[in-house]
Amino acid sequence: MSSNSIKLLASDVHRGLAELVASRLGLKLTPSELKRDSTGEVTFSIGESVRDEDIFIICQIGSGVVNDRVLELLIMINACKTASARRITVILPNFPYARQDRKDKSRAPITAKLMADMLTTAGCNHVITMDLHASQIQGFFDVPVDNLYAEPSVVRYIREHVSYKEAIIISPDAGGAKRAAGLADRLDLNFALIHKERARANEVSRMVLVGDVTDKICIIVDDMADTCGTLAKAAEVLLDNNAKEVIAIVTHGILSGNAIKNINNSKLKAIVCTNTVPFEEKLDLCPKLDTIDISGVLAEAIRRLHNGESISYLFKNAPL
Amino acid sequence: MRDLIVLGGSSLPTLTRLICRNLTLEKSRVEQKKFSNGEISIEIKDSVRGKDVFIIQSGCGHVNDNFLELLIMISACKTSSAKRVTAVLPFFPYSRQPENPKVAMEHRESVAAQGYLASLSAKSKTLATNDAGIDFLGEVDENGRDNSGYKQWVSQNGTVIAKLLMTAGADRCITMDLHDPQFQGFFDILVDNLYLTPLFKRYIIDYVPEYKDCVIVSPDSGGAKRATSIADSLGCSFALIHKERKIKVEPAGLGSPVLRASESVMSTNATTINSSMLVGDVKDRVCVLIDDLADTCTTITRAALVLKEAGASYVLCLVTHGIFSGDALEKVLISDIDKFVTTNSIPQAEHSRFLGEKRFEVLDVSRIFAEAIRRINNGESVSMLFDHGW
Repeated sequence: MSSNSIKLLASDVHRGLAELVASRLGLKLTPSELKRDSTGEVTFSIGESVRDEDIFIICQIGSGVVNDRVLELLIMINACKTASARRITVILPNFPYARQDRKDKSRAPITAKLMADMLTTAGCNHVITMDLHASQIQGFFDVPVDNLYAEPSVVRYIREHVSYKEAIIISPDAGGAKRAAGLADRLDLNFALIHKERARANEVSRMVLVGDVTDKICIIVDDMADTCGTLAKAAEVLLDNNAKEVIAIVTHGILSGNAIKNINNSKLKAIVCTNTVPFEEKLDLCPKLDTIDISGVLAEAIRRLHNGESISYLFKNAPL
Repeated sequence: MRDLIVLGGSSLPTLTRLICRNLTLEKSRVEQKKFSNGEISIEIKDSVRGKDVFIIQSGCGHVNDNFLELLIMISACKTSSAKRVTAVLPFFPYSRQPENPKVAMEHRESVAAQGYLASLSAKSKTLATNDAGIDFLGEVDENGRDNSGYKQWVSQNGTVIAKLLMTAGADRCITMDLHDPQFQGFFDILVDNLYLTPLFKRYIIDYVPEYKDCVIVSPDSGGAKRATSIADSLGCSFALIHKERKIKVEPAGLGSPVLRASESVMSTNATTINSSMLVGDVKDRVCVLIDDLADTCTTITRAALVLKEAGASYVLCLVTHGIFSGDALEKVLISDIDKFVTTNSIPQAEHSRFLGEKRFEVLDVSRIFAEAIRRINNGESVSMLFDHGW
């Protein structure tokens, strides 16, 4: 007889987050093995029965090998599906290709939609993600998507680590204004905005500050930091406008390319990322990096989803 | 040739160019870029509205990158109102389905740990080895069962790959010499599996002297059908090499008369032996080894060794897809294979440079694909290609 219990699966590459989540749930990861052969093809094997169980697959997609991770994830989902799992939930804190979510040029693909279709095709029944680049991506799916927010965890971090009474929340672009304004409201702080004119992707041009930051601790809030060129530029603009110090809090620290160099050379005092993206190896290279652990949010979401409880509590509160 | 558009993925620039030339067509422009975080961006420069689009991409090189690139390109064409999108996959990715990774994939694993020099010095005995690798699952026996008796569940990737192609929006798929012909059944869309046997037959007739006397050999029992059909139609005789994996013998029984030819003793466990048995007579004859793909080349080099030890005068290998991953090229270089013939379904320029043009020959399949594309575009029969080749 089946117990229909939670089974946590993760690929072998980044077990860090999965193990944190597992220990918070008081579980062990289900033994599994992902094998890549010399051509790069992947085979996935599961070491115990998952028949009629509630499967949660945790997948962290970082920078560099996005496509390998995506295909590995799809194969893992399909392996669980063919092994007669009752429900497969994918926990994908950093949704891949989230920025390619619209047809901005003629004949450009909407790859985020393709990702959504692929996950559904592979057999995923539910998706949990965090701070989607555009929340409309939820509509690309035919299955339920729970978009969690890092905001409660960020609020706690600011309260604990920053003398936030003299802080001001900054949005580095107009697109993030809503996110920053929401955070400012939660902390009862002021809010300013940097307007930029972007020439090309991964490049920044002129920046204009809207708001007063004199003698304030500026907290730049964004959903992802890739090469960090924008953040470094923004820090300069803020300090030119007499800010006291600048820190950046980012949900997805992808930190690709020469991000580490950009951060080290920048005038940012610190950059804080959640552990949705694995970057343990970069912590040694960059003393300015700090982590917010969001495994508690994911663990609580898993627990609530498994028991059929409401998840919306987590939108405003971060479990300890 | 109306409304025909050929797009090339980044894995097969040469074959794409050749196919376009055979179709007297300009290759349409696609811009493939990678963002610094590894995500692919595709931009199709020419209009595809209402067109019949063929996208050429192979499952070689960095398989997952190339496969996703293909999916994104298909999806881009679909959202740009292409009339029909056909994925042309000369070598189909994930077409091999292992039963259990520790057992069935063993012969595909590279012996990277041993290195080139080590394999040189131990030439004849250590062609198959290595069951190392990171173990999260613990030991399993030859049936894939662990000590509690549970048989590990192993992903069967064929269906999901087929479904992903359909999800991306492919209306049709062209491939060549699928490892499992059953793979076609995984698709709900049309799949045209082209065969290379006509080309191989032509090659044998043209280049093997006294071809009626040669022996067609299948390096394993899985390829027996392919090899017999060539042997039958040419009127040649046929031989088969049967692999028996992991026979447990006492160390004293190493010289057992039952085990013939190349016995390779596993480095980790002296009591396990991989043995190959040859069925058929090859003494003083030209042997033509036929297989659909050569990846780590363990099977085919071992087969060549068995044939030479049984007295074959010349060993010619005809392989449709030459993947040559890991240290496969080095294995072929030191092996008993006199000549290796493969096709450009996978880029072979590097391999050809390594093995030398005398020992390594590449057949051009662009005409087969060009003709298939032309016929599909015109709504003509493709099956004529199955029999006569091009």
